[in-house]
Amino acid sequence: MSERELIGLAGLAVLFLLLVLRVPVGLAMVAVGIGGNYALSLAAPYLRFEPYLKQFKTLLWSGLANYELSVVPLFILMGYLAAQANLSRDLFQGFNALVGRFRGGVVMAAVGACAGFGAVCGSSLATASTMGRVALPELRRLRYDPRLATGSLAAGGVLGILIPPSVALVIYAIIVEASIVEMFRAAIVPGLIALVFFLAVIALLVRRKPEIAPAAEPMTGAERRRALLRLLPVLAIFGAVVLGLGAGLFTPTPAAGVGVFAILVYGLLLRRRGGGLDLHGLRKALLETAVTSGMIYFILFGAEVLKGFFSRAGLPAALADWAGSGGLEPWTVLILMLAILILLGCFMESLAMILVVVPFFWPVLIDLNGGDWVTAETAAFGMDTEALKIWFGILALIVVELGLITPPVGLNVFIISAMARGVAMRDVFRGVMPFFAVELLRIGLLLAVPALALALPRLLSG
Amino acid sequence: MRPLLEKLAAGSALLGGLILLAIVAVTAANAGAFALDRVARLLGGTVSGLPGYEDFVRLAVGAAALLFFPYCQLRRGHVAVDFLVGRMPPPLRRALEALWLLGTAALALFLAYWMALGLAETRADGALSRVLGWPEWPFYLPGVLALLLWAAVALLQLCETDGDVRA
Repeated sequence: MSERELIGLAGLAVLFLLLVLRVPVGLAMVAVGIGGNYALSLAAPYLRFEPYLKQFKTLLWSGLANYELSVVPLFILMGYLAAQANLSRDLFQGFNALVGRFRGGVVMAAVGACAGFGAVCGSSLATASTMGRVALPELRRLRYDPRLATGSLAAGGVLGILIPPSVALVIYAIIVEASIVEMFRAAIVPGLIALVFFLAVIALLVRRKPEIAPAAEPMTGAERRRALLRLLPVLAIFGAVVLGLGAGLFTPTPAAGVGVFAILVYGLLLRRRGGGLDLHGLRKALLETAVTSGMIYFILFGAEVLKGFFSRAGLPAALADWAGSGGLEPWTVLILMLAILILLGCFMESLAMILVVVPFFWPVLIDLNGGDWVTAETAAFGMDTEALKIWFGILALIVVELGLITPPVGLNVFIISAMARGVAMRDVFRGVMPFFAVELLRIGLLLAVPALALALPRLLSG
Repeated sequence: MRPLLEKLAAGSALLGGLILLAIVAVTAANAGAFALDRVARLLGGTVSGLPGYEDFVRLAVGAAALLFFPYCQLRRGHVAVDFLVGRMPPPLRRALEALWLLGTAALALFLAYWMALGLAETRADGALSRVLGWPEWPFYLPGVLALLLWAAVALLQLCETDGDVRA
């Protein structure tokens, strides 16, 4: 191992040490990037430090003033505006009007609303807390079993990451330079599988023990009509964004811009009928957008600085070499990577984790697969680099979310149990377990049959 | 000091938010023109979209992004990973927290310094955006100011760490 590679490895170790000591992720990345480049300049005089520093005149600006990236704050704004305009409540009540009269239907409606809202919101934690606030009181009033109610809400939060316009998915696509639209298309089937699995779990649980989901009193005709009328515009807005993207009518930034515009107009229209979006809500949505976008931009910038250091140190190639010559099977490495992501997901927001981890894993995977220009026939995973990007992305996005409901530390479970006073954390975890089990099944399916993710993008792009 | 910095940080974030809304408005106008064009073509005419749309979005989002940083700091929104420090004794936690705040302020000042140099250089070079031909340097200005404000907010939090530490 060369001196440069050793410095790269040391940098990696320092990065993890700093993260463990609760240094903000972006700060840790930039610090290691700059410090590492200084160390490199001492070890290899041709890697001079001064010209490197001068890059900072434009590095920050050129990193942020990026058309592709503009979709991120726009989708985030869309999510917060939807929350402020109470569209989360409209989603839940609309689904409830559709399926609430069946046994277990109210909790199914809650899971469906979690999936829909999680898609626009981009953060599982925010989804769990928003939908918890909306649906928990209703489930409690109907005397649903607390384990079923809290478990399904905590688990429902993880569904959104694969449903367009998921911010995490956009960021993954940007990091590995995949097409955002292809990623969205690839996510459709795995996302639907999860939804079907979750609904099946609820149906099975309720069938085995009907008393955990007491029958709800039927809504009156007028209540149902009102709930469905309020559901329609929400579905139309989300549907237009999703279908417009999927059908290639819009590219991501215009889709996000039009989505925000539609929610703004709809929120202001609702205001005339009471509720909706007022100035206070708009201000709040803008401020929340600032916090989330600022967080993401800082880490993206950190990742850029860090990437510069690692590639100067030759670390990705060295790691890939090491993984290849270490005698580990490509599949073993892939499964190890997924296990690490689940483990890290217990402590970290999925977005931050994707930003931190994917830049390390990706080059190693390419190399194990047989290099950048490998063909599907000779590749270790049986697919070319473009397909690997998509398939690994879908797997990674599923497992980073799984960490949020993994005992004993899943953050989603903490949030829901904090909101459901009187339900012990242990019970929420028990409630989550059946959903956790079908998530593992889904990952197994995707590993065994990559076509579940890859077939649809191929079909749609001809 | 705190009320003033709070107002400035929130103002900066809201300005960034308004820039995002401007992007939304321009996007909606562009999409509207696109839709009208489809209709007009059926009747034999054309409606042109906004020239330099992507150029505008790029410049605007670059300016907006940095305006978010001070408020994000104020709300302690920059994520960190917490699986060890939360269990450490409070004095040690405070010391680490103070150290990272100092680091954040130092980084913000470092970036402000280099970005200000970048601004001067871009201005001297007369760099223009590709399609619209707008000068780039004025878009650096909110960024430099926001970075200075970011440092000020982190320093304020540093001064307050004694009494105010999150559990």
